[in-house]
Amino acid sequence: MTASTQPATVATPPRKERDHANPRSAIATFLFPALLIYAAFTALPVMRTIYNSTHLIVPNKPAEWVGFTHYIELWNDNIFWKAVGNTLTWATVAPLMEVSIATILALALYAKVPFSRFLRVAWFTPVLMSYVVVGILWMWIYNYDWGAVNSFLRWIGLDGWAQPWLGHPDTALPALIAVTTWMWTGFNMVVILAAMSSLPSEVLEAAELDNCGWFGKLWFVILPLIRPTLLNLIVLSFIGKMKIFDLVWVTTQGNPLWATETVSTYVYKRAFQWSTFDLGYPSTIAVVWFVIVMAGVLALTRLFRQKDKLEY
Amino acid sequence: MQRTLSPSGLRMAALLMFIAIYTAYSAGPFVWVAMMSLRTTTEISAAPYALPETLHFWKFASAWTESNYDTYFFNSVTIVFSAVAILTIVGGMAAHCFARYRFRFKGLIYLLIFSTIIFPPQVTVIGLFQIMVEYGLYNSRVGLVMVYVAIQMPVTIYILESFFARIPKDLFDAARIDGYSEWAIFWRISLPVALPAISTTIILNTILLWNEFLYAVVLITEDDKRTLPLGVLRFLGDQLEDVGMIATGLMIAIVPVVLIYVFFSERLIQGMTAGAVK
Repeated sequence: MTASTQPATVATPPRKERDHANPRSAIATFLFPALLIYAAFTALPVMRTIYNSTHLIVPNKPAEWVGFTHYIELWNDNIFWKAVGNTLTWATVAPLMEVSIATILALALYAKVPFSRFLRVAWFTPVLMSYVVVGILWMWIYNYDWGAVNSFLRWIGLDGWAQPWLGHPDTALPALIAVTTWMWTGFNMVVILAAMSSLPSEVLEAAELDNCGWFGKLWFVILPLIRPTLLNLIVLSFIGKMKIFDLVWVTTQGNPLWATETVSTYVYKRAFQWSTFDLGYPSTIAVVWFVIVMAGVLALTRLFRQKDKLEY
Repeated sequence: MQRTLSPSGLRMAALLMFIAIYTAYSAGPFVWVAMMSLRTTTEISAAPYALPETLHFWKFASAWTESNYDTYFFNSVTIVFSAVAILTIVGGMAAHCFARYRFRFKGLIYLLIFSTIIFPPQVTVIGLFQIMVEYGLYNSRVGLVMVYVAIQMPVTIYILESFFARIPKDLFDAARIDGYSEWAIFWRISLPVALPAISTTIILNTILLWNEFLYAVVLITEDDKRTLPLGVLRFLGDQLEDVGMIATGLMIAIVPVVLIYVFFSERLIQGMTAGAVK
């Protein structure tokens, strides 16, 4: 295949024709490695998990078929439903907070506030950190004795408000949601800013000619135009929060009183931590959760698409 | 025409106030951990928010040598580097295939690979654990590399495919007339022309895999095979009260990522936001 060094001659067309006519082998070669890896490390594990969900899988014993026992057990599992509630709260509250704050920040940069280059870096950096680093850092920030939150509250004289943020069932989940908001808002801001910058300037000029005020321009021109981006970001953030594991695992491990238990941490606990040694039941949770996430994503995209249709 | 918004003075003041508060919330934690990384634990417990008086750079050396950090760092570098190299080649080949050829079930195969982006990792992780034990890839760096390739494959193919698809067809036709084989077309045209997209995926994959935790914690238990995030967590367990030392450990994990960001910020942002803008 060193033909590239030769100039195109009349003698080459037959070979070229052959290569052209039969790219099937080329297609197979190009696709094979990716498909092999996909089959071995994604498809097979997923099928294995689905298989597990109807079996009792205990070490050193053959898998035992138990039908839908795990599914029935799951239906009556209070911790699971608590975890579902927490995760859904997270996946609803966090996207709204992230996208709304990010829109304001993006507007600020769009309106060319001073130091915008520095601000963009400062806001975006948290998303680059590992959840392990972020988790440890925020455990300190929420520390009762010397953490930044309580130190600040004591400094402004609100001593009574100081509390162990991650240790109290009522505050632990909101405290962790504040951490993911801290991490992801900057990312959302960058995307929204990109969408705003690509708006056609004629539209804004037309609005200006129509004597449209600052707020009017934002509400009636900019936001409707970037709405597809905003909705997209909400879906992305929703998917991310439905998977959340690392942060909880590093900081609270689901404590106190299952206040921060997410479905992911519960699966991990049941599979690798509790000494039940059964991989079947956690697999059932994973399968059910997989179905719920898929349904959620489909429903969201459906809902957003219909809204679009109604308006235009 | 300039396109600046021109809010009134009061609104601008409110906006600036909001920005100031948000920036403190966003950047404060880093400034704090950077300061603590240069102070000793005694100094920190006396005044947690004071500026460092003397800069204790020796702490970095001692965290590095005395806590296996060199091993964790080396593991992370080799695992991430190998995974990203394989991803770039294998993902590039598949993306080239999706962008250039028509074949049966193309849409279905693409959808199948792409839909795994939405999968919650739990649905793979248990089955993967069993399979890796059976393959003998449990507690193995090679195994973790393969898993990393698999989890980052969809997004890599997605970014590269959309770029490859925009390369003008004439370029390929010209190459065919010159007698290039299909492989040579990929290797000598697609890849060089798509270099911007390829560097985007390389940087994106490097950062995401450098930070990866769930698969590493499930598949690696031996200390000498731990990656940096696992190492940091172990370090936390060992030094529970030694806040100053842990802060130094955190900085060692943060610095490489920040360096990548400083040198490649545009590419990185492109990678992270790919697909989010519509």
